[in-house]
Amino acid sequence: MNTFDGNPFNLTKANDYSDKQILNYWVDVPGENGFAGMIKPTSPMPIILLGGKGSGKTHLMRYCSYEIQKLRWPAKPTLDSIKTDRYLGVYMRCEGLNADRFNEKGQQSEIWSAIFEYYMELYLAELLLSHVDDFFNTSDAWQKSQTKLCRAILALFDTPQTANINTLKQVIGLLVSLRKKIDIQVNNCAISRRLNIPITVTRSRLIFGIPRLLSELTPLQDLQFLYLIDELENFNEQQQKYIFTLVRERRGPSSFRIGSRLYGIRTYSTFSANEELKEGSEYEKLLLDERLRDEPKRYSEFAKRLLASRIKGVSLSPSSEDLVASAVKSLPQMFEERNDENFWEAETTPVVSKFGEGEFPYFKKLRQNLIHAARAGRLRDVHSEQQIDRIIQKLKVDKYSLLEKVNVLLLYQDWSQNKELLDAASTISNLCRQFAERRPKSGRYFETYDHFAQDLLAQFFRESNQPQRYCGIDSIIHMSMGLPRHLLIVLKHIYNWAIFNGEEPFKSRPISITSQQKGIFEAAEWFYRDAKNKGQDGSVLQESINRLAELFREVRFSDKPVECSLCSFSVDLSKVNTTTKKYIDLAKKYSLLIDISGGQRDRNSMRVDAKLQLNSLLAPLWDLPIYRRGALPLDPSLADAIFDPGQSENFKRLLNARIVAMNAPFEYKRKLSRTAQRELFTH
Amino acid sequence: MTDYTIFYKSQLSVVGNWSKENEWDLFISAYNSSKRVSDVFAKVRAGHKSWLLFPEYNYAETEYSGLNNYYAGAYTNEADYILGYVGTLNLNLSRIRICIDLTGFIRPYQLFLTKLLWERGVKRFDALYSEPNVYKEREKTKFSSGAGGKVRQVAGFEGAHSANTSNDMLIIGSGYDDELIARVSYYKDAARKIQIFGLPSLRADMYQENELRAQLAEESLGPSLSYFAPANDPFVTASVLSEITRALEKQKQITNLYLSPLASKAQVLGFSLFHYLEGKQRPTSIIYPFRPHYSRETTEGLSRIWKYTVEV
Repeated sequence: MNTFDGNPFNLTKANDYSDKQILNYWVDVPGENGFAGMIKPTSPMPIILLGGKGSGKTHLMRYCSYEIQKLRWPAKPTLDSIKTDRYLGVYMRCEGLNADRFNEKGQQSEIWSAIFEYYMELYLAELLLSHVDDFFNTSDAWQKSQTKLCRAILALFDTPQTANINTLKQVIGLLVSLRKKIDIQVNNCAISRRLNIPITVTRSRLIFGIPRLLSELTPLQDLQFLYLIDELENFNEQQQKYIFTLVRERRGPSSFRIGSRLYGIRTYSTFSANEELKEGSEYEKLLLDERLRDEPKRYSEFAKRLLASRIKGVSLSPSSEDLVASAVKSLPQMFEERNDENFWEAETTPVVSKFGEGEFPYFKKLRQNLIHAARAGRLRDVHSEQQIDRIIQKLKVDKYSLLEKVNVLLLYQDWSQNKELLDAASTISNLCRQFAERRPKSGRYFETYDHFAQDLLAQFFRESNQPQRYCGIDSIIHMSMGLPRHLLIVLKHIYNWAIFNGEEPFKSRPISITSQQKGIFEAAEWFYRDAKNKGQDGSVLQESINRLAELFREVRFSDKPVECSLCSFSVDLSKVNTTTKKYIDLAKKYSLLIDISGGQRDRNSMRVDAKLQLNSLLAPLWDLPIYRRGALPLDPSLADAIFDPGQSENFKRLLNARIVAMNAPFEYKRKLSRTAQRELFTH
Repeated sequence: MTDYTIFYKSQLSVVGNWSKENEWDLFISAYNSSKRVSDVFAKVRAGHKSWLLFPEYNYAETEYSGLNNYYAGAYTNEADYILGYVGTLNLNLSRIRICIDLTGFIRPYQLFLTKLLWERGVKRFDALYSEPNVYKEREKTKFSSGAGGKVRQVAGFEGAHSANTSNDMLIIGSGYDDELIARVSYYKDAARKIQIFGLPSLRADMYQENELRAQLAEESLGPSLSYFAPANDPFVTASVLSEITRALEKQKQITNLYLSPLASKAQVLGFSLFHYLEGKQRPTSIIYPFRPHYSRETTEGLSRIWKYTVEV
C-alpha cells in the first residue's frame, strides 16, 4: 500500500532522520537514568552495543554525537555547556568508509590492512578536529592556544609535515589531502594494479594523541572524547580486529562505543597475539533489544511515549510532557480491541450468524471423524449415526460458540484416552453448564478454557474463513519484541490502512480491527520478505522459518493441541548437527527467533534446553499466537529437518509423525478389535 | 555541465542487413541463452568477435566449447575478469573501432569495461542494446539468485569521499529486482534515496511491472523521490542524473553521492558516462549489490536494436 503523506510514522529508521529529528524524536526509556544509564557516555569503559535491526542503536549513538549535543545546548556552544555533558561524541558510520575497496585488486591483504588502518587514523582525526574547530570557533581564549596545539598535532606524525600550519582548519585540510591521496591510489589500483602510499603516522597516534593534547593544551580537561563507531557489520574480520585493537590499546581521555547488528561481529580478537578482547575488564556488552524485552513494563511505557509523541507531533520536553502523558493515557482507546466478555460472544456471534441453519464446521468435522472411526471399529461405544447425533447435541451450547469449541476439545481429549464417548459427552455437557453459570476458577473445564481459549478462538476463525484478530495497542507493542523500528513500521501500515478505509486515526473513533489486521499483516510480510536480504543465508533462513511455523500451525490447529499458545520450542542444542546450530544462531541474530533466557527444563531428564520463540511479528503469516505460553520440545532429528537444508526432505515425514497423536482418530492408541465393531455399525 | 544531447543514438534493423558504417574491428558480447544476444552476434560484421562467458551464468564448459573466440576467465571480480580478457587481445584499443553488445552483460563487468576503455584512451565506441518483447514471468521474473554477494563499489568507480556524511545521496536506477534495490538501500541506509524509473519503458506495460516490483523494497528505501528517464536511452539517463544532482546541490551541498544502476543496460551505460564525465568533480561512487548467480534467459523476443555512439 502506498504511504500517505501526513502519516506520523513515515520515518522509521534513525538513519533517515536529520540531526534535528534525532533530537525531536528522542524518547527516553523510563527509570534507571534512561538510555544514558545504558550507554554511559562519560564512563571510560568501552561499550559494544549489539542489537537487531531497528533496536535503536543508531538513534542512541547519534543522540550522543557532537551534532546532537550541540542542538541540546540552549544557544551557541560554550565551554560550560560541553563541560556539563563531560564528553564530546565523535560519531562515524563504518558504511561511510566504503571499506570493501581496501581489498583485492592484485594486492596482498597485509598491505590493505596497513592502508585501511592509516585511512581510519586520518578519518577519525578529521572528524574529531572538525568538531573541536566548530566548538572553539566561538571562543577567544581558544585562539591563543591554537598554534601550539597545531604544532603538537603535527609532531604526532612520523614524517615531518612541511606545510605551514597554524590553525586547526589547516590541520584538517592536511588530513583531508592525505586521505584523498589514498582514495585516488586505491581507486586507480583497480586498473593500474599498483599502490604507493607512504604511511605517515603510526597506528593510534592521532586517535589517542589528539584527545590527550586537547586535554593538556586547551581548557578541555576532564572531558571524555567518545568515539561512536556505528554499523561495525560493514567491516571485514581484519578491519574489526583493528577496531578491537584500538579498544584494547585505549588511552585516556578517549573511549569507544561500538554499535553493530547481532550478526555483525566477525571476531573479538586483536592484533595483540590474536588475543580476544575481554568482556568485563576491557569492554562491556549492551544487548539493546534483549534488554528492552527483558523489561516488558519499562519497554511498554517507552513504546507508548514514543507513539504518543509521534501522534501529537511534539518532541518530549517539560512543556510537552502533559500533552504526551494524556496521549499515552488515551492510546488504548485509539485502537479497537477485541471483546472477551461472555466467552468472546461478541466476536463469535456475527460469524455464526453467517452460517444460518447449517452445522458449524467444527461439529461437521467432529461428525466426520466419528463416522470414520466408528465404521473402522475404533470406538468403544459408538456404533451408529444416531449415537453420534446424540454426542453432538450434548456438546452444543446456546450463544457461546467458544464453549462449544472447548467441549469438542474435551471430547477429543477423552477420545484419545479411549474413553466411552457417550458418557464423556454427558459429563462435558454438565461441566460446561456449570462453568457457564458459575464461572469457577478451578477444575478441568476451567483449566482447559484458561489454557486454550485463544487457540480455540483462532481455530474458530480459521474454520469459518475469517482472518485472525491481531489488534490492540498492547498486542502491537508486544509484537515489536523490543525493536522500536518494528513498532513504527506496524503503526505506519495501520495508519495507511485506516486512511484508506476512510477512518480518521487518532481523532474521533478508534482505528478499526480491520485496519489493524491489514496493517499488521503487511508489516509481517515485509519482515518475512526482508529475511531474504539478510546476508548470504537469507533464503535458507526463510525456508527454515517456513518449516518451523508450519509445525506450530499444524499443532495449533490440530484436534487436540498438546501445548497452548504455541510459538516457541525447546531443543537440546548439544544433540543437533552443526548446520542446525548455525542456522538457529543466525535466526537469533536476525531477530527471526528470540532466545528465551533461562531455557526450558526437559520434563524427563531435567536437562535445561535452549528455548526459542518465533518473532511475534511473523505470527500473523501463519495464524500463530503472539503471546508465548507452551513450548514444543523438538527432538534433534526434527530440529535438523527444520533448520538444516540438507535434512529438510525428512520434514514432512517427521511432522506427520509428530502430529498424528494430536488428530482424530488418535490411531497410535487404538487397540480394540475393529472388525466386530464395523459389522455392528453397518446394521 | 555536460551536454548529453550531442551523443548519437540510432536504431538498427532487426531483420534487414546493416550498412557499412556498422562494421567494427572488435565486437564484444556477453554470452547467455537469450536469442536476442545470439542473433545480434551472428548479424554483426567485425574483424574480431569475442564472447565473454561470465562465471555468474554458470555455464559448463561443454555448453560453450563449440563457440569461437570465447573468454571464460574464472574471476568473479569485474576488474580481474575484464583485465584478464583485455590481456588476451593483441590490439591497440585506442586505434580501432569497437562495439559492445550490452544486452547480455552483467552490470559490474559492463561498467568496468567502459571505464577501462576510457582509461586506455578510447575516445569513441559503439554500444548495442536489444530490447525484448516481454519479460518471461512479467513482474515476477527472477533475474538473479543465490546466497552471498556483497554490496560494494564497482572497481574503477570508487570516488574520493568525504568524512562528512550528513547529506549523502543514493540514486538508484530501479529495475525489476526488488531484492537488489533493498540490499543497496540497506547498505547506504543513511543516504537520502532517489529512484530513477525507466519511463518511457521498453514496452508499455513494463513501467507498471517495474513499479510493482520496486514497491516491495519500500521499507528498506525509506522516504524516496522518484525521477524518470527512458529505459533505452543512456544519454537522457546521464542528463537526468546531471539535472538531479544540480537540483539537489542547489538545496544543500551533497556530501557524498552514490549511484546504483540496477535497471536496463542502456541506463547502466548512462550512469557510467555520467560518473566519468561529471563524477570526478564530486565525491561520487557507483555501488552495486553483487549476486553469485544470474538467470541465463529472462526475456522473450527481440523488438528493437539500438546503437549508442559514445564519444568522450
